[in-house]
Amino acid sequence: MTSKTDDRTATPMEGIDDRYQSLLRRVHVDRTTGRMLLLTVLTFGLFAALNPRVFLNPLNLQNIAVAAPEIGVLAIAMMLAMLTGGIDLSLVAIANLSAITISMTYTAVAKDDPGLAESLMPLLALEGVLVGVAAGAVNGLLVSRVGITPILATLGTMQVFNGIAVAWTGGSTLYGLPQSLADLGMSTVGGVPVLFLVFLLVAVATGLFVARTPAGLRAQLQGANPVAAKFSGIESSSVLMRTYTVAGALGGLAGVLFIARNPTASADYGASYVLLVIVIAVLGGTNPAGGFATVAGVVLATLTLQVLASGFTAMRLSAYEYAIAQGVILIVVMVTDQVRWRRRRGPRRSAPSDAAVPPNSHQTLNSGRQS
Amino acid sequence: MVQPEQADARQPVLAVRDITKTYGGVRALSDVSLELMPGEVHCLAGENGCGKSTLIKIISGAERPDRGEIVIDGVAHPAMDPAGAIRSGIQVIYQDFSLFPNLTVAENITLTSAVADGKRLYSAAALRPAADRIVAELGLDLDLDADVERLTVADRQLTAICRALVHEARVIIMDEPTTALTHSEVARLFALVERLRDRGVALVFVSHKLDEVLEVSQRVTILRSGRHVVTAAAGELSPAAIAHHMTGREINEERVVSALPIDAPTVLDVRELNLAGAFEDVTFSLRRGEILGVTGLLGSGRTEIAEALFGITRPDSGTVHVDGAPLTGHRIEDAVRAGIGYVPEDRLTQGLFLEKSIADNIIAGSLDRHRSRSRLLDRARVRSTIQSLFERLKVKAPNTRAVVRSLSGGNAQRVVIAKWLATQPKVLMLNGPTVGVDVGSKAEILEILRNEAERGMGVIVISDDAPELVSCCHRVLIVRRGRIVHELAGDDVTVSRIQDRMAA
Repeated sequence: MTSKTDDRTATPMEGIDDRYQSLLRRVHVDRTTGRMLLLTVLTFGLFAALNPRVFLNPLNLQNIAVAAPEIGVLAIAMMLAMLTGGIDLSLVAIANLSAITISMTYTAVAKDDPGLAESLMPLLALEGVLVGVAAGAVNGLLVSRVGITPILATLGTMQVFNGIAVAWTGGSTLYGLPQSLADLGMSTVGGVPVLFLVFLLVAVATGLFVARTPAGLRAQLQGANPVAAKFSGIESSSVLMRTYTVAGALGGLAGVLFIARNPTASADYGASYVLLVIVIAVLGGTNPAGGFATVAGVVLATLTLQVLASGFTAMRLSAYEYAIAQGVILIVVMVTDQVRWRRRRGPRRSAPSDAAVPPNSHQTLNSGRQS
Repeated sequence: MVQPEQADARQPVLAVRDITKTYGGVRALSDVSLELMPGEVHCLAGENGCGKSTLIKIISGAERPDRGEIVIDGVAHPAMDPAGAIRSGIQVIYQDFSLFPNLTVAENITLTSAVADGKRLYSAAALRPAADRIVAELGLDLDLDADVERLTVADRQLTAICRALVHEARVIIMDEPTTALTHSEVARLFALVERLRDRGVALVFVSHKLDEVLEVSQRVTILRSGRHVVTAAAGELSPAAIAHHMTGREINEERVVSALPIDAPTVLDVRELNLAGAFEDVTFSLRRGEILGVTGLLGSGRTEIAEALFGITRPDSGTVHVDGAPLTGHRIEDAVRAGIGYVPEDRLTQGLFLEKSIADNIIAGSLDRHRSRSRLLDRARVRSTIQSLFERLKVKAPNTRAVVRSLSGGNAQRVVIAKWLATQPKVLMLNGPTVGVDVGSKAEILEILRNEAERGMGVIVISDDAPELVSCCHRVLIVRRGRIVHELAGDDVTVSRIQDRMAA
């Protein structure tokens, strides 16, 4: 029931025992995720070989695990928007607004009663997520009810949320937050940072949502073909509303991770993240045209990009060179997918009548019967 | 070089000889030959996958043959290229017509020839006379200034034909030219075909609508599994013989309808349904186990009635009862919840998720029915629903994980039907259930409908394919200008009665 595809199982295997097939399916990781895993290991190996002393230092590895979660959660949110055939450019602005709201509320309460403010930590974290829910609902309304193209709707709300954040903070960096939240950002369980565990939890929950719930499948189908979804009784406005609200909630959660890690909040934090999370989502096998995505791929892509960033630092390359690398990765992924798509579809041009339908996706296209 | 023997009209304008084409070990064509005479309408028939599309691609230069030659005006070529084929006067009109929807008719007619002539600047004024001339010569009633997206399917086809003629086409190959047309539009097309023949144009019709094929063609060539089966004068082949040549077996198009029990309850009751500009005063009922045909010309309102019942459009007034309960709400979700399913005419865009697996397509309409108490999908039940429908409808695919895009028309349609059967509908409406489906599959799909009706479902078949309606419908409603004008039942359901009442 997932979007997983796999060349081997799609070729005619009538003679083969059914049980063998299901075993094969379980053992065989799907192609995109497999490719992604290889890439993660290769990137890690490359930097480990180039500069082992700095790169393999436990502190560096710890840093990767602490920096990855906020980006990873945003990338998963981006993946959800892309799954329905859209995009959410406002995610980073939502995260900042969430972090700022937490800090502002804490400071306001702490002025009168510091002890109370400190004890409110779980509620403040929840508040951050709720800010995300509200902001996501605004996106959802614009996309689903008003019918604005997602890229424009979220470009607009990105400016609005960002503007609110700047006006509210006066452009300054905020330092107020419960000490327990900052402590949480630094604590580990069995050597694994708590933030990273939060990231994994979000990944598992989203994975279940996408592949195992009716709503997740509706989101996939909506992205794969909105017209057929409508004609199948799938209410697109509720699918989109839900997806953008969930994406917003994840953006709000990313804001909690922002403030827990840094531990500060400001309107201009993570300015380069918008492109980065798009790169991660696409690299992780999300089809920008909609319909196909795997959470496992996005998690691996997050790690790869974080290893790359850390490796660039270890090699003393600048943030600009890292930005160039991100752009190159995005284009290389798109190009290889196009090439692969063409090669696979090529021999099937003999297919009857419906071959005239234009292609609208590239990623997990399963050509299957080439033989 | 082939020496022109008798340099007169009997020389074929186009011939292919002993064409063989292999795709990765699969032989799409083996030693196929075909000759086209000027002024001839030649029908190329065969089931999906028989190789007719491949043969056209080789003639038009889209594919190179492995062996064989293409002879144009006595000159043999080992292969064509697309530009060369157009220069030689060969034009292919595909099913989707490949028009630009946002340009006008005149622009569509002239633009490609301007591009082919290597013009760097496009001037509407300079090209307009060419479009005017073609339309006038053919005596067509075509608004040159209309945007193509606003045209009916029939007018789009005429636009594509005009475009071909601007290129001085001598051979026009038309892929399924009649599938999207109604009876009267087909008649109009065939009148045009006669005028094209007078101009010495040779036409190839690729089709699987047998009755129409015989009406207009001089000769018929039938392919089966990549091999040439027979070429004969159209008059020498009966429909049964053609079906036999196409499928290699006997096809039964006889009327087979079950006897409805006298007390079969009404499952759908439609009263005085109105939608301004689409239909008015539509009243009919459908009984459990009954197959009801709805027919009429394109634009008669047959599709609009179904779309209103399914919640795609909202009727102005009227009531609908499903199993005695009034249908409340006018959204698709409401109709689905009430137990109405709809297999749309445009299967590829409205019916299917082409890049998704058969399994995902089958379950797409019934996700909430397969939820367990934990709110997750109950995977075991999902799997058993998918597997049982996959087997019950005999979808031909390696397994349910195959991508729907890889399926033939008939199998793709089974998947759409399976999607609705998974919702256990009380009423299933099908619009053009066998459009683009080959002869063998067509009979099987009608058999599926008969079986499902017998399980207690009410079925509505919207179609302008009279033999199909006769073959499976208990009753047939005829729609003209938005009104139900006739109801045929029992022995009155015959092809000639349906066609007369439809066009009257």
